[in-house]
Amino acid sequence: MREEHSGDGLLPTASAGETWRYLLRLLRPRWALGVLTVLALTAGTCLQLIVPRALGWVVDAAIDGDRGAVLWPVQVLVIVAVGAAVLLVVTRVLIALVAEPALASLREDVLERALHLPAGEVERTGSGDLVARISGDVEVVTTAIRTTVPTLAMSVFLVWMTAVGLAAIDWRFAVVALLAVPTDIYALRWYLRRSRSVFAAQRVAEGARAQQLLDSIGGADTVRAFRLGPRHLRLTAQRSEAAVDCAYAAMHFRTRFWGRMHLSEAIGVAAVLATGFYLVRDGAVTVGAATAAAFYFSRLFEPVNMILMMIDTTQEAGAALSRLVGVARVAPPPAPERAVLGEPAVQVRDVHFAYADDHEVLHGVDLAARPGQRVAVVGASGAGKTTLANIVAGLHPAASGEVRLAGLPVGQLGPDDLRTTVALVTQEVHVFAGPLVDDLRLARPDASAADIDHALAQAGAASWVAALPSAERTVVGRGGHRLTPTQAQELALARLLLVDAPIVVLDEATAEAGSAGARRLELAAERALDGRTVITVAHRLTQAASADRILVLDRGRVVENGSHDDLVAAGGQYARMWSAWSSAGATDPQPTDPAAAPAAHGAA
Amino acid sequence: MSAPTVDTPPTGNPPTDNPPTAASTVQASAAGSATAPSVAVHSAGSVLRRARRGQLRHVSASSTFLSCHQVAEALVPITIGLAVDRAIATGDGASMLRWLAVLLGLFVALTCAMRWGFRANLRAVQGAGHDLRMLVADRVLDPRGGASADQLPGQFVALATADALKVGMFNYALAMAISGIAGVGVAVVVLARFSLSLTGLVVAGTLLLMVITHFLGRPLERRSATERATMAAATGLAADLIAGLRVLKGFGGERPAVERYRTASQRALAATLRAAAAESTIRAVAVALAGGLLAVVTLGAGRLAAGGSISIGALITAVGLAQFLVDPLNRITGFGAQRAQSLASAGRIAAVLNAPPAVAERAPTVPAGADRQAGPDRPASRLRLEKVTVGSVRDLDLEVRAGELLGVVVADPHEAAAVLGVLARDADPESGALLLDGTAVTDLHPDTAREVVLVAPHDAVLFEGTVLDNIRSATPAETGGELGPVVTAAGLDDLTEVLAEGLHTRLRSGGTSLSGGQRQRVALARALAAAAPVLVLHEPTTAVDSLTERRIAEGLRRLRGGLSTVCVTSSPAVLACCDRVVVLDGGTVTTEGTHADLVHTNPRYRELVLA
Repeated sequence: MREEHSGDGLLPTASAGETWRYLLRLLRPRWALGVLTVLALTAGTCLQLIVPRALGWVVDAAIDGDRGAVLWPVQVLVIVAVGAAVLLVVTRVLIALVAEPALASLREDVLERALHLPAGEVERTGSGDLVARISGDVEVVTTAIRTTVPTLAMSVFLVWMTAVGLAAIDWRFAVVALLAVPTDIYALRWYLRRSRSVFAAQRVAEGARAQQLLDSIGGADTVRAFRLGPRHLRLTAQRSEAAVDCAYAAMHFRTRFWGRMHLSEAIGVAAVLATGFYLVRDGAVTVGAATAAAFYFSRLFEPVNMILMMIDTTQEAGAALSRLVGVARVAPPPAPERAVLGEPAVQVRDVHFAYADDHEVLHGVDLAARPGQRVAVVGASGAGKTTLANIVAGLHPAASGEVRLAGLPVGQLGPDDLRTTVALVTQEVHVFAGPLVDDLRLARPDASAADIDHALAQAGAASWVAALPSAERTVVGRGGHRLTPTQAQELALARLLLVDAPIVVLDEATAEAGSAGARRLELAAERALDGRTVITVAHRLTQAASADRILVLDRGRVVENGSHDDLVAAGGQYARMWSAWSSAGATDPQPTDPAAAPAAHGAA
Repeated sequence: MSAPTVDTPPTGNPPTDNPPTAASTVQASAAGSATAPSVAVHSAGSVLRRARRGQLRHVSASSTFLSCHQVAEALVPITIGLAVDRAIATGDGASMLRWLAVLLGLFVALTCAMRWGFRANLRAVQGAGHDLRMLVADRVLDPRGGASADQLPGQFVALATADALKVGMFNYALAMAISGIAGVGVAVVVLARFSLSLTGLVVAGTLLLMVITHFLGRPLERRSATERATMAAATGLAADLIAGLRVLKGFGGERPAVERYRTASQRALAATLRAAAAESTIRAVAVALAGGLLAVVTLGAGRLAAGGSISIGALITAVGLAQFLVDPLNRITGFGAQRAQSLASAGRIAAVLNAPPAVAERAPTVPAGADRQAGPDRPASRLRLEKVTVGSVRDLDLEVRAGELLGVVVADPHEAAAVLGVLARDADPESGALLLDGTAVTDLHPDTAREVVLVAPHDAVLFEGTVLDNIRSATPAETGGELGPVVTAAGLDDLTEVLAEGLHTRLRSGGTSLSGGQRQRVALARALAAAAPVLVLHEPTTAVDSLTERRIAEGLRRLRGGLSTVCVTSSPAVLACCDRVVVLDGGTVTTEGTHADLVHTNPRYRELVLA
């Protein structure tokens, strides 16, 4: 049902070895705390081991009828209880101190790499995968660190120490206790053979559920407008129920696994009791020792079960971890030497580009802009204008061909060079959630209050920003004050001014604002772009008309290239577009009878 | 299970005119209570109660089976003690075999009870989670709005998944605690046979344990809430940054964005460490108390056995039981910690459920739709705004005549948004009336109003599914069928060539696989396919080229012929096709006429529309 979530449609996942190496690197700075943790774990487990022996001593004292001798093993028990509690706090806090900061740096690394992934990569895989990793996988690993890791560590220690304790009473107890092992191994193999598919199905179902919720809740306004509420609730209910069913199937499977573990417990305890019977009869051990052995073995149930049961949580956390490390270890963008940049010219030669292998969007496009020149790119919707804009701005690498910014191939520019060379204002607007001034500081973190004010004024945003409830500190974006598309684009212009790049790519940056807003934006953009080299993807042809040169793109090819006057005179596609644009305005007589409008179209 | 109902039954008379949507059960408006929020007040406690009561059957079943499991577990050390006493100590081989058989039988009972208990338990947990998830989704999608504006969608998703499940986990903790009590009960009964004072010790110790953990749970509840909030803030920030990734990359803001996330992540880390310390302390106290209990029981039983009052077997049994008690006691004390976590999540869910609706619902003065017929041949509708005041719009009078194509040019985008909000029933006007064929629209249920007046949002979202699914989603069932004219009118004819599978191309959520222009046209087609008696479009052609724009404007005329259509736009191509154009400037209608006239006679109009 969800093909796009399987196979190659996802971001990279690290192998087990890579994951381990990455983890060790994260943990290395905290190795001293790690050693302390192991010591605390060992001490805590040793204390636990005293308990069955102390109980055995009480049994022997009772058999001897010595009431006084009962007291001191009980005192031991009290000391053990207090000591175990103290060591438990110490151990768990130590584990948190070791693991949680490591997890925090891992998630920070993941986000850092994610933001530096090529835009095309993220678009290809959908941002859902990335968001799932940064939220879902982080949550899984966090829970594992809080619960699984401490319990697992303590259980493993306890099993080893108990085995030692059992052997200390009589080696034959330890040998027969091993009778339980084949059943455990069988149970584990049975489990691991099936668990992957069972839990994968559950994860897929939960992913589909989260996607549906994101879809419905993110589009709540549209859902309301079209009265799609019942349908979306139905879809949500379906996917939620499917996820519940998968969770049930997983629990069904788990309980069958537990049944197999009970079998191994029954075998083991019967064997230890039977051995105790023979050893006591032969006088090899006391009744108290046989009792202690039985208690030792029954104390193994809990930690062995914990280990077996946590294997899947551990696997799950391991898988989540390898997905996180898979993103985190994507090589950080190479930071080449800061390049010596020339004049801010743009040269694009024979560029091809495809989003999917068999679907090329650009078929050999050329574009050139001299420093300070303005080039407009026009064309029908879907002609590849946005793709071209993204390639020029260095967001997508071209499949073939050459893109040079300020004299250098765009691929050779490091992120810092790229940022100081070219800025792109995208068609989509996004206001980053948080105080407005924080949004602007994403463009230039060290911007002074004066810089911010200046940028806002230049972008024509000063007055409405001042009128916001808390001015620049007003929380905007999703979850805050909603800005109009014009305001959002003015904010984008202000960011552009703060970035201060000599080459600017505008992708229909004024389109969303409507005409009145667009004109205001164009005036603001005019001020902001003065002296820069500008590539504009123009929807409003007035914008194209004022450009130095116009490139007409049609289905991925440049079909016309020249100044406004030349192209209008040539009578080609641009001339037809211009006529459609201007005939709606004042330049041509307008049919007052609206019924005549369709006929007017045919004449164009 | 998914039918969303509230804890308390609706008060007053249920409105009679509501469409039978899933959401309509959540209202309780009575005549006269015009402005009172009509949603029942939820609290963390009521959400938790709902989770329990809704799953009572599964909670009961799992409590019963898990209790049986605990009893069987309690009998294991007793059987071991008896085997030592009656077989090992005496060297009686036949007796040994008997006791081993009893032990194996016990394991069979134990494993079955555990199996059924945990399966029922999962139903109880997941069922409650599902129910709350649907409740949250229903509130967010409620036609009356009001819940979705102030949080990131990712936070709502976390609420509907992680938090809903955490509340459901209360049922887990409850069944576990009940089974723990059963385990303790068995131990008490067995111990009482040996010594009443010993039993008194165990009971008093258990009670002390429960009281202490209860008080320890309180700070954990606070810390767990802080931890969740800071973690959610960091996750929300990450999701927001990734949502705006292209914009961010456009201006090279990756590095500062990473810094910002790092700060949020470190804040979450600090809260996590504090919560971990609190949680460990609670667990440690439980361990210390359980150990203390074991010591006390061992002391009492050891003295009794040494004095000859009880057998060695009884001593072993008592000590074994005291050890066994750790698990049921943990189940009991674990309840406090889980309840704290569940309550914290329940509180967050209650806060969303309590969000007041954005539009009030009044009792209808005139039965809605009384003068309208269903079906495609109903007469065209007339929409009038009378002295509407909203935001900076003052006393706006505006009429949409039956069957006309009206262009509205609004100078200030805020005013456009305010007026569209009123038309869409997303917000109530501060004063004035919105009349649909003489009926006050503000008296209608929002869904009833939107059935007649469809306001297609400018930033409309496309949903997962094929292009066709999206277009068809709002088409009334009775019209169905032919979408060809709609596809043509929305300028989508070329989509069949551009997209690999044409209209059957599957869209990702949000339609991000389409270009901006394609998305806008698919959204337009969806609005047109709904064939609403009154259709209000907001800047429907901002992302398409001028040739397509003109084709769309003409298609709009053709397709909506005879139906009332409003275009809030400044596109000259669209305005040129309108029957009439009204200009809203400075909060009032300043002028009206045809596009051609206004272009020639009105300089302000030229300034607004042609730049």
